[in-house]
Amino acid sequence: MNAIRGIMAVAGFQIRRLLAPQRIIMALIGAAFPAAVILAVRRVDSGLPVELMVLLIYALVPEAVCMLGLLVTMCPVVADELERGTWQQVTVRPGGRRSLLVGTFLAAVGWTSTVALLSLALALVAAGLSRDGQIASMFVVLVLVSCVGRAALFALPAVIVPKRALVASVAVAFVVEYLAGFLPAVINQVTVSLRLRSLLVQWMGWQRRLPPELELLIDTQPPWVQVTAVLALASVMLFAASVILAWRQFPPAEES
Amino acid sequence: MIALERATKLYGTVIGVNDLTVVLGPGAHGLLGPNGAGKTTLLGLVTGQLRPTMGSVRIFGEKPFGNARVLARIGYCPAADLLERRATPREWVSYLVRLNGIIAPAARQAAAMALDRVGLGEAADRPLMTLSKGMRQRTKLAGAIAHDPDLLVLDEPFVGLDPVARHDLVVLVREWAVHRSLLVASHLLHEIEALDAGLAVILGGRLVASGDAEEIHALVDSMPAEIRLDADRPRRLAEIACGSGLADSIRFDGPTGLSIGTRRPRELAALLGQAAVGETILISTLSAVDRSLEGVFDRLVQLHRGIGSGSGGVRPAAPAGLASEKVP
Repeated sequence: MNAIRGIMAVAGFQIRRLLAPQRIIMALIGAAFPAAVILAVRRVDSGLPVELMVLLIYALVPEAVCMLGLLVTMCPVVADELERGTWQQVTVRPGGRRSLLVGTFLAAVGWTSTVALLSLALALVAAGLSRDGQIASMFVVLVLVSCVGRAALFALPAVIVPKRALVASVAVAFVVEYLAGFLPAVINQVTVSLRLRSLLVQWMGWQRRLPPELELLIDTQPPWVQVTAVLALASVMLFAASVILAWRQFPPAEES
Repeated sequence: MIALERATKLYGTVIGVNDLTVVLGPGAHGLLGPNGAGKTTLLGLVTGQLRPTMGSVRIFGEKPFGNARVLARIGYCPAADLLERRATPREWVSYLVRLNGIIAPAARQAAAMALDRVGLGEAADRPLMTLSKGMRQRTKLAGAIAHDPDLLVLDEPFVGLDPVARHDLVVLVREWAVHRSLLVASHLLHEIEALDAGLAVILGGRLVASGDAEEIHALVDSMPAEIRLDADRPRRLAEIACGSGLADSIRFDGPTGLSIGTRRPRELAALLGQAAVGETILISTLSAVDRSLEGVFDRLVQLHRGIGSGSGGVRPAAPAGLASEKVP
């Protein structure tokens, strides 16, 4: 019970930190960006097929907006505390390190998914798909799965190299998610991007229309398996980050 | 309560704490040392922020690193300034108390009491970025005491405080130490003296002396003191000092400077005065080691660094043997 209280305290406090005016403005700009891109595309060609619009929304919201949102909310989990001079005060509490990690994870997922869902709503309106409940609900799930998976993924560089977490996370995103994730090999099974892609293809019914060489880039197992795989992957990465953080030490000179 | 057994903390090739053995019982203790002496590293070991590279650290009989039972009984006010911006002291302290597993309403109540106690009740709802450094310092202290710990650890707690706030804090901390335990690190001796705390002097990551202020004085009295002077014939004065048997060491500082190490500074000073009159030697300046606690502290620092009476002749006893003491 004490652990849950600590985690909820951190989550609440991190959300309050995120509710700063500058952060809100940045989030709103980020949320409006996909809709602006879609409007610009439609202005050039208003007769684009629904499939292309769906692909565009997929690339912009569950991928780009979620990724960027998590980079600024999850990556600084340790670095921010060190810079603010709060690391020692938080981690001297019983279970403080674990609370900090899991609480920040919850806040990052909550904040980013809220921004991404707002962005999704704007993007669907811009694409003229706002009345298609099936597409909207599909993207809601994709956004949530993306946020949970990527937040846990970014937790690892955040605790391993706190002062270079942003750079390391961008590198991880490209190497793991967009390089390994597109390799037709076992390695892509442990990426979030494979699961998201597979869910998109299955829910859009594109499986039969895919050329054989592209079939290698998706997983044909049912959607619940894809979602469970992301949750399992996130749990493992979060646990690993928690173990690493529990053993991290920062010399006094590195603090503040 | 606090027991370090040959504790060493290395940061790569840099030594933070060096083979330190000390047992501190319940009560108030001051940890004294210049900047970079290893005080914060030692506090890091005590508060479970750091693991010893070698040796062991026990707080309340248990290893503190990652130990929730021990951490729940510690309140820590670090030296680093609190740069949290938008939160108010009330929010910040409530947050810290909640991290101890206390439910939100009780945490708010505990925070309010702690903020009142440090004299920050009226500013409790102002954003931290609008507060002075002294007020932020008091906020940190409130965060350290709000959950009612058994051991309060303060790292340079008086930095940034005005004299009134400093006095209030001294009163508060002394009251605290009546019933609970306290460990205060500072590089300023008068701060520790004001707390009536036992003293442990740390230099270069080593404990070089411990005891109360009088014991530290007595300790230094037993070591060679230093008399420094400027005269027109320093070599003649050195000859007289050596001939008297009062000098333990002699060092010439330039054409007119002379430093003499001695265990009997009063007698030596009198002798030098007589010689100056009898042989018409012009002594332009003469100074002895400072007998205040600040002077004692400076003396220990000098001895540890091998500066002073030992450099030109007889070396003083190395103070390292003073370590490993039990402070009551």
